[in-house]
Amino acid sequence: MLITQISVYLENIKGTLRSLTKTLAENNIDMLALSIADTTNFGIVRIVVRENDIDSAIKALRDNGFVAKTNHVIGIAVPNQPAGLDKALAVIEENNVSIEYMYSLNYIIGNNALMVLRLNAQDMTKDEIAKMLRDNEITTISQEDVNKL
Amino acid sequence: MKVNENKIYNPEIECMDRKDILDIQSQRLKETVAHVYKNVPMYRQRMDEAGVKPEDIKSVDDLHLLPFTNKTDLRDEFPYGLLAVDKSEIVRIQGSSGTTGKPIVSGYTQNDVDVWTEMVARSLTAAGAGKDDIVQVTYGYGLFTGGLGAHQGASAVGAMVIPMSSGNTQRQLMMMHDLGATMLCCTPSYAIFLGESLKELGYDPKEFKLKSGCFGAEPWTEEMREKLEGLFDINAYNIYGLTEIAGPGVAFECPSKCGMHVNEDHVIAEIVDPKTGEVLPYGETGELVFTTITKTGMPMIRYRTHDICTLDATPCSCGRTHVRMSRITGRTDDMLIIRGVNVFPSQIEEVLLRISGVSPHYMLVVDRVNSTDRLEVQVELTDEIFSDKVSDIEKIQNAITEQIKSVVGIAAKVKLVPPKTIPRSEGKAKRIIDNRDLTK
Repeated sequence: MLITQISVYLENIKGTLRSLTKTLAENNIDMLALSIADTTNFGIVRIVVRENDIDSAIKALRDNGFVAKTNHVIGIAVPNQPAGLDKALAVIEENNVSIEYMYSLNYIIGNNALMVLRLNAQDMTKDEIAKMLRDNEITTISQEDVNKL
Repeated sequence: MKVNENKIYNPEIECMDRKDILDIQSQRLKETVAHVYKNVPMYRQRMDEAGVKPEDIKSVDDLHLLPFTNKTDLRDEFPYGLLAVDKSEIVRIQGSSGTTGKPIVSGYTQNDVDVWTEMVARSLTAAGAGKDDIVQVTYGYGLFTGGLGAHQGASAVGAMVIPMSSGNTQRQLMMMHDLGATMLCCTPSYAIFLGESLKELGYDPKEFKLKSGCFGAEPWTEEMREKLEGLFDINAYNIYGLTEIAGPGVAFECPSKCGMHVNEDHVIAEIVDPKTGEVLPYGETGELVFTTITKTGMPMIRYRTHDICTLDATPCSCGRTHVRMSRITGRTDDMLIIRGVNVFPSQIEEVLLRISGVSPHYMLVVDRVNSTDRLEVQVELTDEIFSDKVSDIEKIQNAITEQIKSVVGIAAKVKLVPPKTIPRSEGKAKRIIDNRDLTK
């Protein structure tokens, strides 16, 4: 249900994203998902990797001058068909939970698309949110599921 | 439209024989020293420590015996410690940036306001001001001495004053155009910005009545003068001052444009070696030091301005005899002047230390874009405060920007940079990259 995500701060300067991918490449790290939030002043890159790559990715990034840290995000699997995602988001909305950001993993399990979400509910912990999703028949995925990709 | 005239507000004083000026200075210096020794504990203590009695000061030649006063003294004695009169005699407070979060303030008696007004009146008259003029004051009104100082001086010469204060370019130009302003008082960089905006906003420069302007509160160059005089077809004059001494008008340019006449019947100017404090002869480059000799509220004895320039007492073609100071060519400390506002890196440092999680490593990058100063504050981001959420990062940026705005009084662009990207140095950290060229 929870996935460890690595976030990296990028200055808005030509070449910084390449410098990040180069660092990961040199350390033989396979990115399973990548999303970039860009603003006029800076960018934040969010990455999902297999569990045994997390520590070495963080170390490599920091050693190369990046600000990087991990946090837990929620993973869900939604039917890879029209309205698949919409049904999941409807449940989130009905339970008064808001979405900070969302992106997809570059993989499909069975006929399900995999999504990563950062949710915000004032009185609920991430575990409680995950339970709420499962109670509403939304399939959650965990870091262990991701490791097998 | 440019007009060359040589008007003098107070010819008797401004064109007095130098010998008589020195006599006046000696007399007034003695009075001032006696006054501060009697009424200001700090001055009395300093003089006692230096073994100087008021009686030892017999003429301006004895000035060097007196201890220096520094900006830190104004901070330590903040707000009323340096007053030489009862607080009830003070009619005005003006202020400017201190080296820390607190401003420094200066208290003025009615006499001090009148003295300052006369100094600005002389400055504006030298720039051609008279009863028929319409003076647009685009310096900020408030604690900053620019707005009220120029206002008082323009009123004293009987001109019509448009008290615009700073900002709002479109409205500035509309009023200047519609009311037919003949003189402009503001920072030289903002004047250039106004001049460049004029055509963009669809005005014909020929429709403006502007003939001259007094520009100060920041260092500028001959290159900027040429540009400014071209943009508006005016005479652009330099004016100098500082809150600690009075405000704008301490020194001003005459139509000869060969340095700024120091109002020597009100202040004594010295040039000293910034390291040793030794007085240097006229003509040599060093730190400018002022002693006020007519101020009663908060007199300043040998105040170190940290401004670097030269003094010249050779005759001026305008007829004025008061000594002329050159343009300011630098500072002996790390103070920056950005859009007319004094900024000390230590103020920025204080702001950063107050925001938890922000690294104390920072760099100030100053550029002049389209004649306007831009300050970028680069701060190192740390793993602790970094977040996966854009809004969290923006919150940090905004918090720093707002704090700088409130403490320093200027808008800065805050840029978060990765850790260890700001160079560390062994000794005194280099905190400033100033890309402006103020030497031409």
